[in-house]
Amino acid sequence: MLEIKCPYCGKRSQNEFSYGGDATVKRPTLGEEISTEDWDNFVYFRDNPRGKHTELWHHVSGCRQWFKASRDTATHEIFDTCKMNEAFNE
Amino acid sequence: MARELDLNMPVIENISPLHFDHKLGFYGDYENKDDILKLTEVKELSIFQIAKFKKSSVDINQIIFNNLKLPTKSLTVTSDNIARILWLGPDTWLIVSRDKKLIEDIHNIFNENDFAVTDISQSRAVIEISGSKSKDVLKKGSPLNFNNDMFKPNNCANTTYNGINIIIDFISEKPDCFNLFALRSFGGSFYHSITDSCLEYGYEAI
Repeated sequence: MLEIKCPYCGKRSQNEFSYGGDATVKRPTLGEEISTEDWDNFVYFRDNPRGKHTELWHHVSGCRQWFKASRDTATHEIFDTCKMNEAFNE
Repeated sequence: MARELDLNMPVIENISPLHFDHKLGFYGDYENKDDILKLTEVKELSIFQIAKFKKSSVDINQIIFNNLKLPTKSLTVTSDNIARILWLGPDTWLIVSRDKKLIEDIHNIFNENDFAVTDISQSRAVIEISGSKSKDVLKKGSPLNFNNDMFKPNNCANTTYNGINIIIDFISEKPDCFNLFALRSFGGSFYHSITDSCLEYGYEAI
């Protein structure tokens, strides 16, 4: 079981958290002309990297806050976590 | 044809969330033991969830509720004999009290432009567990770290117990005493989960 450091609550067990996907995906800007392909890319298509990955996690059974985590998808090592409006220390 | 409303019908009595589950008595391996667990349902609490709006510019440190400050440090509780204020998350708190008169104070202090105030008194089942083995009971179902004095009196945490979302409020120690809050609809399941874990130590339902 993973131990994940919530930026608000500290180290907690993985089963208090929910995975929220790639944290680097940007929503197309509202009010601009957006092609169907751009919407497809935003809604459906994700990279599937092996190695370091910046992702969103939700402390759903804790403080209910979203935060960012830098994790190795191969080893599951978590390098750092931070609040949504902050940057990683690494 | 629609039936007319009978205004003389009897008022339905308030039934506590664990009314059908919490039966008084001694259970489990309690014989020849001095120090068994004590379990009780905490009824008639006033429970209010307070959430500060993101747009609000109120300084939380300036707010005093019933002589208590709102805790700003994670996992902490401020308390006195009347109320306990639990930190639930950033800008989110739970006020728990037996004093029904606090409602007016809450609405006076937490104005509707800055705070969302929700009365959840009827939507939580609350169990108080006390005894020297109560931490061991909680360890059986919760992933929270209770070792090395990481979780002390006047700490609280949102966590899970056998998959049920709960709030643990550490009231006091020697003997350890906790208040456990679960959603009312999960109350029965949570109660049986806790009592199953208590059996090997023996417990008295009071």
